[in-house]
Amino acid sequence: MPENNILEMRQIEIQFPGVKALDKVDFSLRAGEIHSLLGENGAGKSTLIKCLTGVHHKDGGTIILDGREVQPQSPQNAIELGISTVYQEVNLCPNLTVAENIFVGRQPMKFGQIDWRTINRRARELMRRFHLDIDVSRPLSYYSTAVQQMVSIARAVDVQAKILILDEPTSSLDDNEVKLLFQVMRDLKAEGMGIIFITHFLDQVYAVSDRLTILRNGHLVGTYNIEDISKVELVTQMVGKDMDTIFNLKRVNVDKDAPYMLSARHIGIPGQVEDISVSLRKGELMGFAGLLGSGRTETAEMLFGATKIANGEIELNGKKTDIRKPYDALMNGMAFCPEDRKVDGIIGDLSIRENIALAVQARRGFMHPLSRKEQNDLADKYIQALGIATPNAEKKIGELSGGNQQKVILARWMATNPKVLILDEPTRGIDIGAKAEIQRLMLEMCEDGVSVIFISSELDEIIRCSNRIVVMRDREKVAETDGADCTQEKILSIIAEGAQSAGGAES
Amino acid sequence: MKKRFDLSTLMRSKVTWAVVAEVLILLVCLIVRPDFFTISYQPSTGMLYGNLIDIVNRSSEITIIAMGMTLVIALGGTDLSVGALVAVSGAIALKFLRWDVTVYNTPGDYTVSPFFLVLVVPMLVCILMGLFNGFLIAKWEMQPIIATLILMVCGRGIAQILTNGKQFTTGYSPFRVIGQGSFLFLPMPIIITAVVVALVSLFVRKTAFGTFVESVGINRKASRLSGINAQMIIFIVFALTGFLSGISGLIYSSRIMSNDSNNAGLNFEMDAILAVVIGGTSMTGGKFSLVGTVLGSIIIRTIVTLVYYFGIASEATMAFKAVIIAVVIVLQSEPVRNYFSKRANARAKLANGGVK
Repeated sequence: MPENNILEMRQIEIQFPGVKALDKVDFSLRAGEIHSLLGENGAGKSTLIKCLTGVHHKDGGTIILDGREVQPQSPQNAIELGISTVYQEVNLCPNLTVAENIFVGRQPMKFGQIDWRTINRRARELMRRFHLDIDVSRPLSYYSTAVQQMVSIARAVDVQAKILILDEPTSSLDDNEVKLLFQVMRDLKAEGMGIIFITHFLDQVYAVSDRLTILRNGHLVGTYNIEDISKVELVTQMVGKDMDTIFNLKRVNVDKDAPYMLSARHIGIPGQVEDISVSLRKGELMGFAGLLGSGRTETAEMLFGATKIANGEIELNGKKTDIRKPYDALMNGMAFCPEDRKVDGIIGDLSIRENIALAVQARRGFMHPLSRKEQNDLADKYIQALGIATPNAEKKIGELSGGNQQKVILARWMATNPKVLILDEPTRGIDIGAKAEIQRLMLEMCEDGVSVIFISSELDEIIRCSNRIVVMRDREKVAETDGADCTQEKILSIIAEGAQSAGGAES
Repeated sequence: MKKRFDLSTLMRSKVTWAVVAEVLILLVCLIVRPDFFTISYQPSTGMLYGNLIDIVNRSSEITIIAMGMTLVIALGGTDLSVGALVAVSGAIALKFLRWDVTVYNTPGDYTVSPFFLVLVVPMLVCILMGLFNGFLIAKWEMQPIIATLILMVCGRGIAQILTNGKQFTTGYSPFRVIGQGSFLFLPMPIIITAVVVALVSLFVRKTAFGTFVESVGINRKASRLSGINAQMIIFIVFALTGFLSGISGLIYSSRIMSNDSNNAGLNFEMDAILAVVIGGTSMTGGKFSLVGTVLGSIIIRTIVTLVYYFGIASEATMAFKAVIIAVVIVLQSEPVRNYFSKRANARAKLANGGVK
């Protein structure tokens, strides 16, 4: 055993009612190392982390921190032991200033009063260490998610942490922001901190980690040096199947004369998105490519009536249709899985069964309830068909992993037998196995004649699945190309050209 | 799949602890007054008498309102206007129960308006006021506590205006039946309450309305995106609460055969909210329990009875009530429930033969 192990977890076991969440898992972290923790949803990554941060208590095994055996009792206790965690969602107060957020709960005092001058000075120094020169007296909500993320890391680091856990910190950051984060991670590593990095983006794992540990179904698969394992091998180890079988997906063939199911003509809302026209044939899959904020989501929301269009018109099945609210879209056979499933998709405290039945029930109206048996049948059918990992249909959806939540939302809409399905980033933040499954489902629905609009930031999955690709940029539709002969480079160049011309126009 | 009786789940339920609290309070009453549980039959009125009957009878007004309040709270809101609506309902009813002063000069068994107007108009007005609340909240997206504060303040004013600031009395016997009559040996308010609770429960649980209320209360945006008409749900819930306040107001004014714009329904909003909370529905909205609310309302009334029994000076009554309520709420708190749930779990494990 190398003597510079700052953390050693041996034979960790955690038992949940009915399942063994972790079965004799070993994990070690060296000082001055970035160690990625990988596995599909439900593999036990977060359970392992929560065991370390005192949320769950282990049923067996030992945790040795700095040569001493410890048992974190609570998140507060873990912080005192020097284990800090930054979660995917920013856990800060948006209405407090950056400086207040960093020091809240441990403000330096002077003459019995809060020493604002010191707080602001130290906050400024700290942010500068993170290569950010920002006004720390502004409210946190003033800054982008990336900056907010940095602030939460700064807060975690400033409490003299020995170990920093980053749980999916990059899922809402763009490329430059990710680079900045990596720079910070390398700086911290150079100072001798041990960093545990959890992410679904495999490229990022290779970009920044020294070692990686793979878990599968609560078991340890292995710990590898980053140069000793190829990406293909890594995925194979994670999923337990090899990559070709996972992504054995074929684009659906669309009849050239298939009728148009959805046509939008010059729809827009002044000041938001303007003059968008798209036409979607029966059984066609249309990919929406573009950067975050390019107007993809706004377009989807207009089509579904989540926001009301000001101009233009929408034709469904050849008939002009007035869609003023989601209910109208639902009644006309449309379905929509929103981008932020936690905020806009799941009803956290309701069961899986209730969540699946929700849209069908909304279409029937509350006076015509589905019987308990109909609901159970519906839930069981989709739990089986989509492979939703849950002991039963009565589990709260909020307790499921991200990929399974997404499947439940998908099930909610599949249960309505939609003619047009809009999926906004359905694969974001979920593991590679679930991702492939959702893509497979999407293509199967196209096969059955459903028209699908598929929005994603990941170009490879858009190109893999789409019949046609719409490229959005700066809240406009800039190009529409055939999916079959499209390449990543082509789309990137379309987006990049726009970025240049927009940059010129702006200054 | 067969559900096994599970002590640990039972210990975790807030309703369980409401039952425990109620039983404890009743036991204390029994110790103070050994004849506490006695129930007697009075042939002259055809009614049963006794403390238990009285507790349920007197809790009627709050229970009825709290049915609506449960749904309001499940939506993540509160309705402060219910007490004022009780006053409005009573004022309108008594306004209709006028008689020809040139014929009779004392109140008695007579009225100029048809009796159905006496019943229907107050309820209609209360529904309208509920819709007004709903309008502010659903359409203008006002915070419920602020929106309903408007009617809380001006409702009593409206009641005063309607009656020219006067207190009317009546002796009209059909009206007396609502609050003082009996049916099946039980006081009429208990019967009305039972019917209201049954109808609301049926409406909420036998249709998908309850699920929609919970869904909107947990995540309004996601509910809307799933095709639920959240605005309509909010409208219906507030209108229903207004309607129920109207019924409650009729019972209240029938008990005193008079209107009292200043005191009718005073602090009812607080008692109703308290009943809902004791019943296990969280103020943050979401999952709700109507049975729990009924229990909560009865607990509040039992506490009042207990206070009388202890012969506590009237100045100390409120403080005493507060102490008991604090104990009940602590019993239901997360840590206490978790503690007992864990103990039950450990015991179950032992019973099953130790470690598994």
